[in-house]
Amino acid sequence: MIGLNFLVIPLSLVLGLVLMMIPLPEWTEIYRPDWIALVLIYWSMAMPQRVGLWVAFISGLFVDVTLGTLLGQHSLALTIIVFINLNFHLRIRVMPLVHQSLYVFLLLLINQLTVVWIEGMMQREPPVMAYFGAPLVGMAIWPWVFIALRDIRRKAQLS
Amino acid sequence: MQNIFQQARGNVIPVLFLIVFSISLMYVDQRFSHLESVRAGISVLISPLRYLVSLPAQSGTWISEWFRTHNRLVDENRQLTNDQRILNARLQKMEVLLAENTRLRNLLGSSRKVADEVIVAELLSVDQNPYRQLIELNKGSLDGLYDGQAVIDDYGVMGQVIHVTPNSSTVMLISDPEHAIPVQFIRSGLRTVAFGNGNTDELEIRFLSATANIKIGDELVTSGLGGRFPADYPVAAIAEITHDKTHGFISARARPKARLDSSREVLVIKPYTEPVLEAKPEEETAPAQAPESASEQ
Repeated sequence: MIGLNFLVIPLSLVLGLVLMMIPLPEWTEIYRPDWIALVLIYWSMAMPQRVGLWVAFISGLFVDVTLGTLLGQHSLALTIIVFINLNFHLRIRVMPLVHQSLYVFLLLLINQLTVVWIEGMMQREPPVMAYFGAPLVGMAIWPWVFIALRDIRRKAQLS
Repeated sequence: MQNIFQQARGNVIPVLFLIVFSISLMYVDQRFSHLESVRAGISVLISPLRYLVSLPAQSGTWISEWFRTHNRLVDENRQLTNDQRILNARLQKMEVLLAENTRLRNLLGSSRKVADEVIVAELLSVDQNPYRQLIELNKGSLDGLYDGQAVIDDYGVMGQVIHVTPNSSTVMLISDPEHAIPVQFIRSGLRTVAFGNGNTDELEIRFLSATANIKIGDELVTSGLGGRFPADYPVAAIAEITHDKTHGFISARARPKARLDSSREVLVIKPYTEPVLEAKPEEETAPAQAPESASEQ
């Protein structure tokens, strides 16, 4: 059943990872949206039977190596938000995009808080905007992420 | 609907397992070094992406070099030849001094590291983690790099290697909040430790005694204590001194000599090790581990 079409899922995750690596000026760092989280939220909402907790966990490990954080830090955060998403996906899927964005903001905030709290436990003090900056930007771009990935999914005829 | 709720409940056990698993991963990663190979493995997998991402910046420099005018090249060439001549003249003097220094040290019977080898590496990317100060280099264990090596640029100490993969390595800059480097004041000989605080243009020196002999502009070099950084490389210059009245301490801020945020070429130091077994066992272990870790990966 798993055909070439399913490659769009890992490819979109890889693209997310690249977007998290692209060098930007230092002050923009805390506003960089968590692309992997956005992509994972979409796929676990659209295809929960394919993209679940394990995919989230393993993507998290890749993010940890990319960002040089502790192994497991982003895995934990992503596993938690994908778990929440798996429980609500049927209700969220049918919502208007604006409402979805608010829900996505909450998920991204939980993701961010988990990561920042772990940083805090290791005596690194993050700036206040580190909590809200990235989730707000993530919320703002969610509609476009959603539409782009939905079109890709339809082209690839995945359901 | 029944099916959906069952699905949700079915996820509870895997999610609990994964949460516990990732927490224990973090614990092990923080305390021990068992996970280095996992990190290196994943790092190798994503290294093509890192190259891909660094392409635009690199092609930018290629293009600007390609289109540089003839005149500018001639000027630059002349300038460089001049510099080269001056440096050579200085070097001759240096060599005489070095020879004299070794001779005198021999006379005194104190052996000391004379010269260190270096490996030239290029900056691949800067880690996009706002809480850390890490950079990636394009050389790895295949080029002879290993954990704990000191990294410098042409102005001073930049940091140390913390992870190596076969063809890339991660360097923690001296400005990383987790980094501390043993230093010595050139003027007074006072030894202390300089901490990073997350800003690329600042190091902190905490808890000097109130009578410490320091003033603004004092130069700091590595003291060589701890065995990580070879001695006598320039680190920073004191920029600001604060007297803490309540505790009777002095703390100071220093400006790093190395251009932490703009150097693209760096040098990784391979410490010169004495053939004579005079070094402490701790110093011995670091170079001795290198071939092992290289073969491991």
